[in-house]
Amino acid sequence: MQPGDEDLVALARNGDHKAFEELVERHKQKAYRIAFDFARDREEAKDLSQEAFLRAYSHLGNFDGRSGFYTWFYRILVNVCLDYKRRKKRTFAEEFNEAVENQVEPSQVSQKPPSPDQQVLARQLSRKIGAALEALPPKQRTAFILKNNQGLSIKEIAEMMQTAEGTVKVHLHRAVTALRQSLAEFA
Amino acid sequence: MAQHDKAVAVACTQWEEDLVLHYYGELRGSERTAVEDHVRGCEPCRFYLKELESILPLTVKPDEPPQAFWDNYSREMRRKLTEVKERKSWWQSLALFFQPWAIPVSATAAVAVLALTLTLGKGFWGSKEIPQDDQAFMEILPAAENLEFFKTMEVLDAMDFLEDMGSPVKGSA
Ligand SMILES: [Zn+2]
Repeated sequence: MQPGDEDLVALARNGDHKAFEELVERHKQKAYRIAFDFARDREEAKDLSQEAFLRAYSHLGNFDGRSGFYTWFYRILVNVCLDYKRRKKRTFAEEFNEAVENQVEPSQVSQKPPSPDQQVLARQLSRKIGAALEALPPKQRTAFILKNNQGLSIKEIAEMMQTAEGTVKVHLHRAVTALRQSLAEFA
Repeated sequence: MAQHDKAVAVACTQWEEDLVLHYYGELRGSERTAVEDHVRGCEPCRFYLKELESILPLTVKPDEPPQAFWDNYSREMRRKLTEVKERKSWWQSLALFFQPWAIPVSATAAVAVLALTLTLGKGFWGSKEIPQDDQAFMEILPAAENLEFFKTMEVLDAMDFLEDMGSPVKGSA
């Protein structure tokens, strides 16, 4: 039978290096995906998710088992992502806009090769979305990404953000309101 | 571009939050029925829901890294973990050196110097206690690490303040 996450944490705390590597293998894709939703860049998402694993590893002693490893680790991950965004606040918007201009996803626009007009629209859309998400206050952005992109329940998000479910609902509603206003032209 | 003039749909204010929750499938039972009944009879709210359905999926940026990316990810992670582990054990052995049982050995000379200082330099320290340098040194590293950790763990908590400072669109509902 496969050991649970918490069993692996216990082993890792006792110096079993491989046990933590197994935790990384289990959670790396999900962790990367969340980091990508924040950073919207492959390399940065990789760095951020790896950084979160390293912090978790260094602070395994702080894991008290009150929540599952999953909740504890993803809280660290979200904080790493938010902290990174805070530090990069001034430059991120410009970098992001450049990145998306070079990275339009045809799958979001059409299955057929996009026409020049569609390409212009797709670029505008990517720019707008990046800027709109970037402009959201961190708690709203967190609630929105965890719900809209990750499909977590309000209850799970509340646990991860260590706040009340009602507060998460308010954050989510405000985020959606802000995004609708920014992106109305593409509805 | 005519699109730029497009106005956002205006739903009934008291239903808006529930419409968002309904869109995300978060309503059950009577709450869900109430929203559905309302939407059936309210065109603005129906339009609002349609708008959510067309806008919100666009905000997800798809990304499917190839297998090589994941292989590389694991390799890098193993290397980084080994580095952290080595750093950790280095500090642990340093901390061991300052363990209480080691102090008598390592501090014998220090005690002698201290005694001399106290005898010859009385008054030099003023009324202050002699600083417990060894102990202070032992606490610096883990404390610094924890401070950094808790600083980042508090990011979410500090956000209320940041949010008050300013989203231009907040509180519009
Ligand atoms: Zn209505």
